Amino acid sequence: MVDTNIYIGAYSLQTALGDLTATCEAMASGRSGLRYDARFGMPTATIDQVAPIAGLTRFEAMLAHAIEQVSRLSGVALDRPDTLLVLSTTKGNVALLEGQTEAPERAYLYASAEVLAAHFGMTTAPVVISNACISGVSAFVVARRLLQEGLYRHAIVAGCDELSEFIASGFASFKSISPNPCRPYDAARDGLSLGEAVGAVLLTRERALASEPCVALLGGVVSNDANHISGPSRTGEELAWAITEALREAHVTPEEVGCVNTHGTATRYNDEMESKALAVAALSDVPTNSLKGYIGHTLGASGVVESILTIEQLRRGELFATQGFEELGTPCPVAVAAAPQPIRKAFAVKTASGFGGCNAAIVFGPASEPCDVEEQPAMRSATEVAHAEVVQGESPFAEMIRARFRAFGEQNLRFYKMSDLAKGVYVAVEELLRQVPLDEQVGAERRAIILSNRASSLEADLAHQQLVDQHAPEGTSPAVFVYTLPNVAMGEMAIRHRIKGDNTFFIEPKQSDWCERYARQLIARDRADEVICGWCEKIGQKWHFEVKLLKNV
Amino acid sequence: MTMEQLIQELKEHLIEELNLEDITPEDIDAEAPLFGEGLGLDSIDALEIILILEKNYGVRLANSAEAKPVFYSVKTLAEYVMQNRK
Repeated sequence: MVDTNIYIGAYSLQTALGDLTATCEAMASGRSGLRYDARFGMPTATIDQVAPIAGLTRFEAMLAHAIEQVSRLSGVALDRPDTLLVLSTTKGNVALLEGQTEAPERAYLYASAEVLAAHFGMTTAPVVISNACISGVSAFVVARRLLQEGLYRHAIVAGCDELSEFIASGFASFKSISPNPCRPYDAARDGLSLGEAVGAVLLTRERALASEPCVALLGGVVSNDANHISGPSRTGEELAWAITEALREAHVTPEEVGCVNTHGTATRYNDEMESKALAVAALSDVPTNSLKGYIGHTLGASGVVESILTIEQLRRGELFATQGFEELGTPCPVAVAAAPQPIRKAFAVKTASGFGGCNAAIVFGPASEPCDVEEQPAMRSATEVAHAEVVQGESPFAEMIRARFRAFGEQNLRFYKMSDLAKGVYVAVEELLRQVPLDEQVGAERRAIILSNRASSLEADLAHQQLVDQHAPEGTSPAVFVYTLPNVAMGEMAIRHRIKGDNTFFIEPKQSDWCERYARQLIARDRADEVICGWCEKIGQKWHFEVKLLKNV
Repeated sequence: MTMEQLIQELKEHLIEELNLEDITPEDIDAEAPLFGEGLGLDSIDALEIILILEKNYGVRLANSAEAKPVFYSVKTLAEYVMQNRK
């Protein structure tokens, strides 16, 4: 008998409302963790006390406590060669940039992952994902695929972000923060509320390690709107596609879904888009909630923390109310849970959407029965058909990249608005696709882009931090802030080349074949037909962009 | 400052702050629509224009939705600044 299930093992979280038990109690009784925060002049949901750990920053200590508890509850020793840490964060130790003009080593996201791996004596190299606000859900998708490929038996998915002036001023520059606690899906909603949290959960191939009642991660898909780098899709079709594909992977029909936990940020456009996506995915009638009214938008932690809470609600058979919601104010109907209500069906869907146009959906529910033979279809082959590079030379970056862009002989005023990271990706991908174009016969959803680097968006982060440090009355610049997420460079490519399939951004300690292997697996497992993959590093006077085009030919 | 001077200055701010490479003030028709085709501006640029008005003229606009008629062209921007500057 072959058991292909990915089981949910032990989990742990910390929100403004406390640990898992305290958070669930507060949510069940309709108590919000959002309070007026004089530091930022807005309501936030922050964590008061983090027990310090010698040698670790506050951000790392938050993660260490959660991971340690998962290891203790599950009995899975972290030094095993079959155990992987998958870390989801947008900004990591960005607090260290305050007052700096250069990024200290510890501000690199992978540095935190290495510190944590060393803290727990781990023997496998951590995987770090920085995919804006879908990071946490992306981490489940990536961990599931790595476990399915048999590369590991256990994965701890951990997500965390700290709230800082960096984040608060950035969202304020987008005019997307409500002066009051956020009100997802409500007619009177006027923006999001920020929070901070941490969550960690064990995903495992071993049935014996599954917490009871047993829940499995049955499907997971990432998509891109290919519409705008900060505004959501106008149709919701791309999030709907991710949901529908995730359900198909899970062998679950929309009729079998008992609840949906959405991103539900309470910005006008996000909630509008989600209402359209739920309609397209035939889930308008399914009881739905957003938890942002209790714990705020916790960024890179949100996908992990809210997934854990979705699993917890599924196990209890009770859906928490959507705090702040009274009267529906979306263009398509959504069955928003205004009060706690029973979950009457077996499966749950969790979604997320973020800057860079990314969306992700995962499905939880009862494990499928072990079967006699593994019914994996034959692996499809992936072939490299083009390769392009932008390497350091004599001239400075600005001069070099402008000259290469001009050589394309086209007018595109967007180019000059991009961060250097995005410009480098633009030129490398343009040169790649001028050798071998994307196939017009291939649907946009069957095209994917997988990139990685070491410095994430640190260069843009420093630029934004300098504006933050000036404390100007008019605030910071949205055009700078939007590029403080490395995946936005992929979002630009998604718009330009109509790429609506997987788009995942990994952080690595150095250039490797990781992205190419991940891209090959997307084609091999029939998740994509064409994938752009590679490395895109730009920090100060150092840069290297190297991309490949893989096709199923 | 005359209306003509203000229009010229606004064009210069837009070119500088919105990174309108290769565009000169003469290329921008003060009465043509700012958004849509032409300069290829989008919602992020609209937020940046709010910043430009606040930083340089002390003019506050709450959000880009209510600013829509003001944002129609460089001329409408200049008229709004004339009426509201401090």
